[in-house]
Amino acid sequence: MNILVFTKRVPATQEEELRLISDGKDVDFSKLPFKVNDWDNYAVEEAVKIVEKGGGAVTAVSIGSAESDEVLRRAIAMGAKDGFLVEVDQALHDPFARSALIRNFIQKEGTPFDVIFTGVQSEDDQFASVGGILAALLKLPYVSMVIGIDSVEKDYMIVRRELEGGLQERVRVATPCVVSIQSGINEPRYVSIMGIRKASKVERKSFKGTDYDAGKDAHIELVQWTYPPKKGGAQMLTGELGDVCAKLMEILKEKGVYQ
Amino acid sequence: MSYALIVAEVRRGIFEERNLDSIGICAQLGKETAMLLPEGQYSFNEKMVDSIVKVKAGEEVFLNPLNMAAIIGKIAETRGKPDFIVFTHSSSGTEAAAYTAGIFGFPVITDVSGYDKERGVFRKSYYSDKLFGEFKTIGESAAVLTVRSGSFKEFAAEKSAAPNEVSVEDVPVSDSRTFVEYVEEEKTDIDITKADFLLSVGRGVGNKDEIPAYEELAGIMKAVISGSRPVIDKMWLPKARQVGTSGKTVKPKVYLAMGISGAFQHIAGMKDADCIIAINKDAEAPIFQYAHYGIVADMHKVRDALKGILKG
Repeated sequence: MNILVFTKRVPATQEEELRLISDGKDVDFSKLPFKVNDWDNYAVEEAVKIVEKGGGAVTAVSIGSAESDEVLRRAIAMGAKDGFLVEVDQALHDPFARSALIRNFIQKEGTPFDVIFTGVQSEDDQFASVGGILAALLKLPYVSMVIGIDSVEKDYMIVRRELEGGLQERVRVATPCVVSIQSGINEPRYVSIMGIRKASKVERKSFKGTDYDAGKDAHIELVQWTYPPKKGGAQMLTGELGDVCAKLMEILKEKGVYQ
Repeated sequence: MSYALIVAEVRRGIFEERNLDSIGICAQLGKETAMLLPEGQYSFNEKMVDSIVKVKAGEEVFLNPLNMAAIIGKIAETRGKPDFIVFTHSSSGTEAAAYTAGIFGFPVITDVSGYDKERGVFRKSYYSDKLFGEFKTIGESAAVLTVRSGSFKEFAAEKSAAPNEVSVEDVPVSDSRTFVEYVEEEKTDIDITKADFLLSVGRGVGNKDEIPAYEELAGIMKAVISGSRPVIDKMWLPKARQVGTSGKTVKPKVYLAMGISGAFQHIAGMKDADCIIAINKDAEAPIFQYAHYGIVADMHKVRDALKGILKG
């Protein structure tokens, strides 16, 4: 089975302060480290696992700036055969525009695939929409939030979707199809610096995003960024660590959960 | 006719409460509403919508995005194109929303948690609620929205008249994707929803080797240990210990959140706790907006200091 898997380079914003600049028109990323989108890491692992078991090849594709090459090297180190970079100079906030560009790329380059994997969403924009729009544009069936792949047959797969409250839904989907992969589906393998260095020797192909512009006009427009709306907010316990912990214990006693 | 089409989410015969947020945003948008439901009887106040469109199909067919896009196409033929198509921001709602947008070439904005009437902009989360983006749709076509649970339900109100009800028959059913069965989570001996005191650890724990020291602290404090999604995904704690929309919804007397930044899906699972105490290195972590008490500190240092006091 040949699997196309999309992987995105995103800013690592956990435990980092995000600052707005230019009156909320931009976010200052200058001091932030970047990483592979968590969901895509699970998608690459799942693709590699399937190919290791049943044969075929994984091709990792990234849409982004030249620096996105680092997530391709990472995917190759995990077991992808090829890495394709579709270079765009501006962030595509609209999932429709992103999906249309991917559709154009796949059709124009005639990239062969049996299944397309995306992560459920990207950590930055959290639209969770590219897989679904892409499937519709390619006239393929779509399954999202896949938390388990039970079997891979010649012309279909049996997969489990994650619903709410611990419930799952088992579905049968014909291939070719588009599948969005949920985090926690597997245990992504460790990638060493040596592994990435070795992967760097595998040639990655680079494409110009402007060659795939047809019909990718944005359907939505970002007006501005804002900080989160302030709610009540917590009463902050401050001071020396020992004092703070003593106050914490007082609260636990007051609430009757610790004597 | 100018109207908004609400695709209701029903699961195993239950009308999900988050559908009220879909109704609420339509009130904010000032649109008449038609609510799409699969066949069956559901318990909710039907007077909150202007019309009900019953689809002659079970929920397994209805919630399949391939079928849903076809159903919406049929409705647009008879009723005219809606101005908005509104889904819940849930596993199946978001799945069908994106696919529908792709089929019809409509703009889509997901996880909408705010709407500014005057400026006509929708607000959605970025970076796990650390920032919000304000979006406008371009052009005149219908916009597809998924609505965050809890964001708009206060605006859902009764209309003066009972809704008219129509039905859609001859639903096209896809054979390229079909429902097999629901799969329940395995039963375990621990039920975190019954605990009075939960000590919950998140991504900030950093490393699997740190977990036993938290289990030890929970043991001394007589708390039950639970975790947020990143900890469960990495299999550092079992799935039955997960707090959040895809795990358990908990209402303990005290919820002590250590190293949890507060992604919305987590907040939705614990916001009704009597007392929430959050410990996080990042003073800007969204969880401090929902907590009653907050401590900005390294969670490991707090853990060790608490152990020191308790063993003291």
